[in-house]
Amino acid sequence: MAEQEYAIRCDKITKVFGSVVANDQIDLDVRYGEILALLGENGSGKTTLMNMISGIYHPDGGTIYVDGRAASIQSPLDAQNLGVGMIHQHFKLVNIFSAMENIELGTPGKKLPPKVLRRKVEDLCEKYGLETDPDKPIHAMSVSEKQTVEILKVLYRGARILILDEPTAVLTPQETDKLFAILRQMRKAGCAVIIITHKLNEVLSISDRVTILRKGKSYGTVNTAEVNVSKLTELMVGRAVTLEIDRPKPEDPEDILKLVDLTVRRKDGSVALDDVSFSIRTGEILGVAGVAGSGQKELCETIAGLIQPAQGAILYKKENLAGKTPRELIEMGISMSFVPEDRLGMGLVAGMGMTDNMLLKTYTQGKGPFVDRAPARAMAESLVEKLDIVTAGVEAPVRMMSGGNVQKVLLGREIESNPDLLITAYPVRGLDINSSYLVYDLLNEQKKKGVAVVYIGEDLDVLLQLCDRILVLCHGKVTGVVDAAAVSKEQIGLMMTGESAQEVMEYGNG
Amino acid sequence: MGTAKKEPLLRVVKHAELSTRQSIGLRVLAVVLALAVGGLFIALIGYNPFEIYATIVSGCFRSPMAIQATVKFCIPMCISALGVTLAFKMRFWNIGGEGQLIMGAVFASFFALFCSGMPHLLLLAVMFIAGFVGGGLWGLIPAACREKWGTNETLFTLMLNYIALYIVTFLRDGPWRDPEAAGFNKIARFAPKAMLDKVFGVHAGWIVMLILVVLVFLYLKKTKQGYEIGVVGESRDTARYAGINVRRVVLRTMFLSGGIAGIGGMVQATGSDITLSAGVAGGVGFTGIIIAWLAQLNPFVALIVSFAFSILVKGSSVVQSAYGLSTDCADILQGIILFFIMAMEFFIRYKLVFRGHREKLPVKTAADTDAASGEKEAEEK
Amino acid sequence: MKKILAFVCALAMMTALFAGCGNNNNEQPSNSGNEGGGAGIAVENIKVGVIHIGDPATGSGYSYTHDQGIVAMQQNLGLSDDQIVRKNNIDDADATAIENAMNECIEEGCNIIFATSWGYMDTCEALAAEHPDVFFSHGTGYKSNGTNFNNYFGRIYQARFLSGIAAGLKTQTNKIGYVSAQGSENGECTSGIDAFAMGVASVNPDAVVEVKVTNSWYDPEGEGQAAQALIDDGCDVIAQHCDTNNPQIKARDNNVWGVGYNSDMTAEVGDAVLTSVVWNWGAYYTTAVQNVINGTWVPGTNVENYFGSLADGLLDITALSPEAAEGTQDAIAIAEAAINDGSFDVFTGTYTDAAGNTIGCDGVMECNDGTTLEVDGTNYAAITKYYKNVVVK
Repeated sequence: MAEQEYAIRCDKITKVFGSVVANDQIDLDVRYGEILALLGENGSGKTTLMNMISGIYHPDGGTIYVDGRAASIQSPLDAQNLGVGMIHQHFKLVNIFSAMENIELGTPGKKLPPKVLRRKVEDLCEKYGLETDPDKPIHAMSVSEKQTVEILKVLYRGARILILDEPTAVLTPQETDKLFAILRQMRKAGCAVIIITHKLNEVLSISDRVTILRKGKSYGTVNTAEVNVSKLTELMVGRAVTLEIDRPKPEDPEDILKLVDLTVRRKDGSVALDDVSFSIRTGEILGVAGVAGSGQKELCETIAGLIQPAQGAILYKKENLAGKTPRELIEMGISMSFVPEDRLGMGLVAGMGMTDNMLLKTYTQGKGPFVDRAPARAMAESLVEKLDIVTAGVEAPVRMMSGGNVQKVLLGREIESNPDLLITAYPVRGLDINSSYLVYDLLNEQKKKGVAVVYIGEDLDVLLQLCDRILVLCHGKVTGVVDAAAVSKEQIGLMMTGESAQEVMEYGNG
Repeated sequence: MGTAKKEPLLRVVKHAELSTRQSIGLRVLAVVLALAVGGLFIALIGYNPFEIYATIVSGCFRSPMAIQATVKFCIPMCISALGVTLAFKMRFWNIGGEGQLIMGAVFASFFALFCSGMPHLLLLAVMFIAGFVGGGLWGLIPAACREKWGTNETLFTLMLNYIALYIVTFLRDGPWRDPEAAGFNKIARFAPKAMLDKVFGVHAGWIVMLILVVLVFLYLKKTKQGYEIGVVGESRDTARYAGINVRRVVLRTMFLSGGIAGIGGMVQATGSDITLSAGVAGGVGFTGIIIAWLAQLNPFVALIVSFAFSILVKGSSVVQSAYGLSTDCADILQGIILFFIMAMEFFIRYKLVFRGHREKLPVKTAADTDAASGEKEAEEK
Repeated sequence: MKKILAFVCALAMMTALFAGCGNNNNEQPSNSGNEGGGAGIAVENIKVGVIHIGDPATGSGYSYTHDQGIVAMQQNLGLSDDQIVRKNNIDDADATAIENAMNECIEEGCNIIFATSWGYMDTCEALAAEHPDVFFSHGTGYKSNGTNFNNYFGRIYQARFLSGIAAGLKTQTNKIGYVSAQGSENGECTSGIDAFAMGVASVNPDAVVEVKVTNSWYDPEGEGQAAQALIDDGCDVIAQHCDTNNPQIKARDNNVWGVGYNSDMTAEVGDAVLTSVVWNWGAYYTTAVQNVINGTWVPGTNVENYFGSLADGLLDITALSPEAAEGTQDAIAIAEAAINDGSFDVFTGTYTDAAGNTIGCDGVMECNDGTTLEVDGTNYAAITKYYKNVVVK
């Protein structure tokens, strides 16, 4: 095949970070008028590879060809000049500027008159089927609107090769569909699109071909039409796995925690939780769904005593916990465990070993000024054995461990305290499939023991399979608490954007 | 395509975390390199570097008196390093060791000057506590302001150094001025009762220093409070999550950090200066920061590093008089050595890769073996 | 565990080290010459320590002047270079640095240490008690112990009186400026101003001395500004008691005249400097070391304080500039002769000038506040009032 047909061709690209080989002689190619999915588990090197194409890293080995010619891409500006644009997972927008201003920001040449600029932006929108209000400031936009601005930014700079890093992670199912329509439009217009993802359904629905990465190596490229979910899983994980999640029937669920009219404000004064009421039951897993930033974090932290609610009550066996500090909760003998979203920044002490991390909530026990490390060490060692934790030793800093092992340490510690209530925020984020399933198993085990489990999740497929009930949050309001077995992904998606459960269920049934 | 640029000539690349042995090796290399470049400098200004280095070492150990002097240099440096160690462990950038040391000396001096009627040991005990409290309060101010108003602790502690210094000048020129000193302002020499006793020819500060080394080590490694410092230092969110009262830990730790520096000031004023002078700290508070850092916040290593520093200080003082080498030259030499040691900290974390150099892949990496075993499993199925 | 072990080892080693020190703590290296009682120390065994507040290498100023004295002493007595131990840049506000510097001199075997700055006094006193077989000689202070710690200074007021004659004869505006480092509470400065003012009055009863205080011994900027303010006020001769030659430069640049201090300031400023009041420390340093060699001074038994004079050669005024007024040389010569024969010592005694007037207050000074004060040059530190023709600006 002639070189010219490729928009991008990577030849034996290698990137090493310290002793970790992030990319090991990876080959990849994409043509104009094609959507290529880059599939792999977390840590398989997808983002690293794309960062090299977009000029953020420089490869240690191998060559990148753009339009058939070897290119040395040393900065995002070089990439831009080559027609390559990347839309990152974390948006890089100026909040107080309008969409239009963000789009123009950083482009060479004189500032265009607003009229001309607006015209240009609208032309672009028309061409690719995008919708945006050029004058709307970023801070007033939803996540998907911001993403649109990011895409426009790249297109405005003349990109014909687009790279999107996990673009659907923050979107509702409906928004995802909309994005995919835009991508298809781009394909039609002759762009080359690379989409990074680890969601198999999405790969199948959008891409023409898939390149699979596993542990920094390429495991080939296949035509999407020729594969199915289980084949892709096998390629991605390295072996066949069953994708079903167990859901044992809850036994005698009983209310353990009741949230009544809870309102929480963020530090900047905005409302994070708006008059929220629901109850958490023993022996069941309550899922919490919602677009990122809908108040999930504040919900967990308020229950855990880290944030003082503005009003409302949290009733635990008829005692009001609202406003109590974590230390007070411990002293009250309340047996609650919390696995926060930020594992190394909140749940664990990154620079300390497993032993010291086991101590985190128990170090005050025992008399005298000294810490007794022996029991913590024993606990760390037993966890290593029980959960197959891979570590250089129980004293090695936990930040050196892989994401899955870090989560095992955190979840293991929290479960070891035999809680009545277990709150987990995004417990499988960033984990490979094996570790994710281990987490689901652990949660189910707790459920069977009669523990009340709260599961904040982002993958609706998982929420629907794992949880007994699902609570949906939108802008801090509860739009509904529904039976997971009786609701569809699309219905949850609608509730995430603000429609009430009642409306949605009627619509679904009708 | 106009961007067919070459690969950059030099790139900075992060390395794998080095083993302890490797990083110690690199640090030793830094010292050797520093000595080599320092030697070059000495040769350039017309002296024999070997002779000069030999004089530095022999100057420190040539006689019991010389050894005593070397140890004396070590005491305030080590104590102030211990002080900042506590704060740094909490990632509180306390650059105010100098001021805290001075305020410790000021508080202790009050009792030395005006309460010298007390019995010797009682007076010493009172001055010791006063020094601790004085330094501690001076450390508490920036901590309280940061917790209350979110002030920048680095600038705050730095500025407090100068305020402390001017307090001494004010006391010297005003309320505490020695009336016997005609025209020349100074604070009177302390009564013999207010002097720290000498043990083996060096004021007892060295015993205080050794005890503090052990105490700080135990405090950080073995106590609940030490554990809290570690957690707060790593992440305030984690500390909050664990139910630690972060504010209380920050205030307590800064009080202790300043207090230890204050003890250093008390020891220096009553053991060495026997008066309160503006030069009581003399930059030791800043040297302490470098020492604590080089020692990686380990109290025992800090003791060793302080001693190495005192060899440098004492040795270059001997060189100054023996060879007529200006004191500035000795400072330059110290600067060269420090520069290399600090530059090496960069290379412990990063390396430079030149154009054209291709990274050789590690023969066998964790990723490789895992991938290989994964492959095997897949085949088996 | 390993770390604890290592620490115990380190502790043991340190203890051993100190124990070793403790045994021969007060043993002094290499000066055994005083066993015979008054036998002195052989020239080749003499070692001299000098503590400087600055660096003599700067080529002028206080430390340079003192070091010139050390060099002169070394030449006079034929000492080799390694018999002199210099500790430079010793901050006189840093008690520990002072002690370390002196201890280092002792370590190197010095028999006598000259501490040239006022701030070194207390440390000298303390170390003299600790090291009874080493002489501590402290410049410009007032403490001593009679056995191995003395102070040395001089009747600089004699030279100042003579320089006052030059200024008094030169002035046309009858206003003479004087830049002083310290105010009236400082006896050294005040006695100098009084002596100068008396010199002025001896030849020009109508002239006044306007004093401006900088409150610092070393303040290049402030000293220049003070001189300028005095010149602006009408002074046409600027005398000084401070470290830099900036007042003289200001005088020259304004086409008026000056009287320098410390070193011969004509070298840097030119003939506008009528004369300079200078120290010649070599005179004392030679005498002192000679005393140790001779056995006149024996450590632990006797050492006298030193208060040198014009006759001793410790102080002087430099040769008059060609711009000095006519007759200055003669007027100075008469006063100098009276000082040298002992009949007149500025604050005590009198002499008769060429016109037949009796000069000198003879122990009772009329002050500018209308009172009188009993004065005596040897007790200069107690003189804290100004002579009648002084005006403080």
